Amino acid sequence: MDAGHTTEPRGIEIGGYDGDVATESLQKLLNEAFPDATELFVVDRTGGGDHFQVTVTSPRFEGLSLVDQHRLVYDALAAPLSDGTIHELRIKTKGTA
Amino acid sequence: MSLRDQISEIIETEPVALFMKGTPSFVACGNSQRALTALRTAGAPVTAVDILPDPRFRQELSALSGWPTIPQVFVKGELVGGADIVEELAATGELERKLTDALGEGFGDAREERVIALAAA
Repeated sequence: MDAGHTTEPRGIEIGGYDGDVATESLQKLLNEAFPDATELFVVDRTGGGDHFQVTVTSPRFEGLSLVDQHRLVYDALAAPLSDGTIHELRIKTKGTA
Repeated sequence: MSLRDQISEIIETEPVALFMKGTPSFVACGNSQRALTALRTAGAPVTAVDILPDPRFRQELSALSGWPTIPQVFVKGELVGGADIVEELAATGELERKLTDALGEGFGDAREERVIALAAA
């Protein structure tokens, strides 16, 4: 695994033309934010590395409104959202109950 | 009135506020269209606000709501969500319930869809 190699945000390219690299870096951020997720995947919707569909199922969402569930995802992806890596983000969240 | 005050006033006073890219008659983004369609399907009395004319509109809105993306839907001052949430709530019938709870039965009768333009300070 990549533990210990995280000082450089590996593979984040501003304007990201490499869809796979961008998808991987989002996946990594989400894995760190939701270590107990039972389902977690990122899809590059257009192949352009900037329109993503994120799906997360986690016990952390139990009892939270959808707004608060999505806020947790936005928090995890704050950096790529603010630097323009993510142009469009679709989110699907679920609790595990 | 400052930009932020204009936005707060819309959020607080409009029964259903949709901050979107474009207007209902000229929607400029697929996600804004998804939110608008979901609200229309539920029969919501939509007040639309176009955030595209000035980048500060979006900055101020997101600073106020803590929500980073557009569209944003508010019902009686409460953030309901963006396109994904509103679509999901519409599909399960929960959006109509929420509108009834917040605005009362017959929430869709009172008003037509309308548009409010923000004025850059």
